Amino acid sequence: MAARGRGIAASIFAAAWRTNEFKIGFALLCLLIILSVLGPYILDLSPTQFNVSKKFLPPALLDHSSWPYLFGTDQIGRDLFTRSLIGLRNALLIGITSVVGMFILGSAIGMISGYFGGWVGLLLMRITDAQMSIPAIILAITILGVSRPTPLAIILVLILAGWPAYSRVARSVTLSERRKEYVRAIKILGASDARVLLVHIAPNILPPIAFVAILDIARMMIFEAVLGFIGIGIQPPTPTFGTIIADGTKYILNAWWITTVPGLLLAITLGCINIMGGALERSRNKILLGFG
Amino acid sequence: MLFALDFFIRRIAQGLVLVVLVAMLIFTLLRIVPGDPVRMMLGAMVSASVAEQTAKDMGLRDPIPVQFGRYAAQILTGDFGSSFVRSAQGGSTGGSRGSSTFDAANRASVSGLITASLPYSVLLAGLAFLFALASALPIGIAAGLRSGRWPDRLALYVASVLVSLPNVWLALVLIFLVSAKAGWLPAIGYQGPSYAILPAIVLAIELAPTLIRSISVSVSGSLVEPYVSQGEIRGLSRGRMIVAHVLRNSSIPVLNVLGIQAIGVLLGGLFVVEYVFNYPGVGLLMINAVFQRDFPVIQAIAILSCATLVLVNILVDFAAMAIDRRLQY
Amino acid sequence: MISPVNILDVRNLTVSLDLGSRGTRAVLTHVDLSIDENEVLGIIGESGSGKTVLSRALVRWVTSPLKIESGVIAYRGNDLLRLPRTQMQALRGRKIAYIGSDPGNALDPTLPVGRQIVEKLRSIEPGISNGEAERRVIRLLDAVKMPGAKQRFEEFPFHFSGGMMQRALIVDALVTNPDLLVADNITQPLDVTVAAQILRLLRELQRDFKTAILFVSSSFVVVNEIAHRVLVLAGGRVVETQNVQQLLAAPQHAYTRQLIADIPRIWQSSTEVVADEPSPAAKDVILSVRNVRRVYPTRDRNKLFANQFVHAVRDASFDVRRGDNLAIVGESGCGKSTLSRLLSRLEVPDSGQILFMGEDIAPMKAKRLLTLRRKFQLLLQDPFSSIPPHLSIGRTIAEPLYIHGGMSRSEIRDRVAATMQEVGLSLDLFGKLPVGLSAGQRQRVSIARALVLDPELLILDETLSALDQVEQRKLLALFQRLQDQRGMTYIYISHDLGMVRQACNRIAVMYLGRVVELADNRTTFIKPRHHYTRALLSAVPAVEERPFKAETYLLEGEPPNPIHISAGCSFRSRCPFALDKCAFDDPPLVARGRDESAACHLTEIDPHHP
Repeated sequence: MAARGRGIAASIFAAAWRTNEFKIGFALLCLLIILSVLGPYILDLSPTQFNVSKKFLPPALLDHSSWPYLFGTDQIGRDLFTRSLIGLRNALLIGITSVVGMFILGSAIGMISGYFGGWVGLLLMRITDAQMSIPAIILAITILGVSRPTPLAIILVLILAGWPAYSRVARSVTLSERRKEYVRAIKILGASDARVLLVHIAPNILPPIAFVAILDIARMMIFEAVLGFIGIGIQPPTPTFGTIIADGTKYILNAWWITTVPGLLLAITLGCINIMGGALERSRNKILLGFG
Repeated sequence: MLFALDFFIRRIAQGLVLVVLVAMLIFTLLRIVPGDPVRMMLGAMVSASVAEQTAKDMGLRDPIPVQFGRYAAQILTGDFGSSFVRSAQGGSTGGSRGSSTFDAANRASVSGLITASLPYSVLLAGLAFLFALASALPIGIAAGLRSGRWPDRLALYVASVLVSLPNVWLALVLIFLVSAKAGWLPAIGYQGPSYAILPAIVLAIELAPTLIRSISVSVSGSLVEPYVSQGEIRGLSRGRMIVAHVLRNSSIPVLNVLGIQAIGVLLGGLFVVEYVFNYPGVGLLMINAVFQRDFPVIQAIAILSCATLVLVNILVDFAAMAIDRRLQY
Repeated sequence: MISPVNILDVRNLTVSLDLGSRGTRAVLTHVDLSIDENEVLGIIGESGSGKTVLSRALVRWVTSPLKIESGVIAYRGNDLLRLPRTQMQALRGRKIAYIGSDPGNALDPTLPVGRQIVEKLRSIEPGISNGEAERRVIRLLDAVKMPGAKQRFEEFPFHFSGGMMQRALIVDALVTNPDLLVADNITQPLDVTVAAQILRLLRELQRDFKTAILFVSSSFVVVNEIAHRVLVLAGGRVVETQNVQQLLAAPQHAYTRQLIADIPRIWQSSTEVVADEPSPAAKDVILSVRNVRRVYPTRDRNKLFANQFVHAVRDASFDVRRGDNLAIVGESGCGKSTLSRLLSRLEVPDSGQILFMGEDIAPMKAKRLLTLRRKFQLLLQDPFSSIPPHLSIGRTIAEPLYIHGGMSRSEIRDRVAATMQEVGLSLDLFGKLPVGLSAGQRQRVSIARALVLDPELLILDETLSALDQVEQRKLLALFQRLQDQRGMTYIYISHDLGMVRQACNRIAVMYLGRVVELADNRTTFIKPRHHYTRALLSAVPAVEERPFKAETYLLEGEPPNPIHISAGCSFRSRCPFALDKCAFDDPPLVARGRDESAACHLTEIDPHHP
């Protein structure tokens, strides 16, 4: 007896899909993801193997003599293209995992806070506010800056930094759905609170903030790069955007491509994700709020 | 009047609890994660017994609640303690420079360090905010008023592009292009207010997308409210409806975003941007403090930023309630 | 004889709705109408007849996807449809005013009401000073009988009840002395007595200001109260236009004839209804409400940390017997919504008992309550929000069976299908989302969902209020059928006295949290004891001669605040016959005859008090 036909979330997604922006962003993103996963194997270039005789080669896209180093090489001759792709892969992994985590955690806390109210709700709200009062970077450098940062720790820090936004939205959705008549009707029929929350209120949380989740993937990827830049991200020799950019800072005047080109790849990836998120937001506005 | 009193009493009380909780959290975190500050202070060469003795003298081996109690009492008198690392003259001590440079009696006061660097950060943040608003307001309002048409799409593209530029990367690219190559603006350090412009631009680029989005969503949302079309039917001109009513009403969600997200982004971005530009503000102080395990500085700045956020939140909420009385109930 | 000046002359107006890929649909076709100076023209039509589109077209408020295909709307000779925008804007508000049916959303919620009216006045008459404008507005607020006009001037829209807001909007419309006022369904969201007051007010203002009014409504009886002539709209076409009295006496078109015939007659003897048979006292009591009280704390804004208390329900008591159709009637603030929450055990009373088949449901534990919930169910008012939008219809109806468990999937499917057929829903709807359904169909889904557990008692909380006349009749027939087949008992919570007269055999009247009268159908409508009941009956829009005249009985103002309840009888401040005794002695609900009770001192003194 599952619901056939389009649910609200599906129709928002479909409306976004119809726009050109979304299609372009999506296509490009898919290309980049495939590249980041399969690229290094296809090109048969290693991200960590260094070859001092080949150091400081400019990108092959600009100076054909540097082929096959598409993005050039860094200060010890490592190929920047594969390093960037691996960095992209790591960044996407961390970004997506952390957003899924913060979505689940935030929604759970927000639903409980909005549904039960009383002092439980108040307490959870205060905790949410407290969490929001600590700038993410401070939390990150406090936790990661004084111990060895593992990918898991980084993901946890990101989840901690990002869940409050979802909790607030989940709470306001819960508050407004809770008052609706069908919730009242179902409670009178005898439904337990858990049932009301999971079967009826939870599906309403995704549509208004699906686009926020997409945009947050991009945001978390930037955050991960920043952490790497400061030195508290994933540690070398694993390539991450942050470490690549940081390394290249010293050579910016001579070999400017070490810093700029990998960052450009990241920026383009983020651009795709953000355009998709933006299109989703506008279709949400049109469908749920009536304008745009 | 009575409402204002009630509001501020409640919220400031809650805010204080919040700040205390955050302070406790940071305090505890610093002391339970591995990495001994004493080692940093005295350098790796010092003997274990000397290290232990110094740690005991500084009170770092006492149980954490005791330490926190001491710290809290200190703060109430306005004393944020002394830096573990910096000497009163401003130079860093200890660590790799060897234990002989460490002078326990002559450490810089944390409040002093902060008050010295705060004005720079305020300048930077203020400038960044100004740039961000100056660009986001026109784009956002135009997008909101003409949603679905080209100003709206333009706003979407601009915001998407800007938010995709990682701030560290952007900072470096700008330093390279604008400062090193073209020489239009100075970049590293501080020798005059013009040194704040480039970092402010980077921060503004980080802030602007959020503002653009929230302004345009808010304006288009307000535009479709029933009272807007009703107002025109009653005889008020569209221009008047937009200026006197729509913009007013749409400022409330924007205020919320300004208070919560924008300040958060600003604070976070400040640390990183100051680090990249070597700009002598509170952010640089903080990041260096983390690397040097300078607990008092870390704690003080963390508490300060938390308190700033809480205060801004309270002010924003009060402003929102003053504009829309329904929120008071 | 001077021929009346023609203000508005509409010829051949045709409006269509652009459905994009699905073509266009005609909304109004070849509509002709005219209004003279100082005349009130009523427009009646059911929902979907196009009357709102028509009223908005007259102020040129037609936005895409609606489109004006052809026609002329001549205001004093000038075609509004061909006027340049600035000139049209100059007419709006100044000469042609419009009031809609959604008073709560008509003004900016963040600015004081009075100031917004002044804003409109000053933008239309730029020469007027701020002080002069304020004075004029306050004078008008007094004229519409708004108590404390000077304070209310500075208050915000959310402080105003529906009735008060409509008065403010009437001031807003008339402040510039327009020629024509378009009133689109303005009394529909209001309580009966408040609506009656507004209509009376509008009649007086029309006489004083000599404004022409175009009064749109879906109810003929309402239009009858105020209009001189009436135009009947059906399916976007004008069916008939006539003087109101003549239309009532001799309707020409078949549609109008049916419309007039369908009007519920309350007092005519031909409407003695099945529900009128006295319920034998021998039948067992299925629900007994005894001295129930419920109070809500809210923050006191005048003190720093204190609370105020809203006395939503104070001392409500009544019995419901098996097979009864009990009605609970009252206006906003009487406590009936709180009572429905208490009866369905969403909340627990602060004191008193609610006995369902002998057991008190108030202190009941969750498990026992769940079992008992199979026996009594509640249906709500809003057909659009009472069923979840994200589940299919079959799944929605099956929900109670999932909650209570114990049935296999195929059993559930069969039971749902059977119930759907019983309430008249087509089985194709089983797997569909509720997106395209009409209000009537949605209510049927709610009914099916409630029936699927075989309840014995059904509480209908304003369930029929959102439906139009035709749907209401169909659903009432369904309820009757279900009662005959399943032996159900109903409690109708409603403000619609016409519907109650037809369907219910016993009626409880509530005022400010108490039951002030409880009697059978005939007594309530023909010989009610309590003056509040009489006031309600004097305000009900009707085409017949009323036994209780508005001049004597119609109340002024609004019900008092349930926070500050004065000593003595709570109705005393508005009762036209109050005694000294009523100020300090609160009359209890006492039996006055066989099976009837009323809470009033006057009936003690003189049982035959007229």
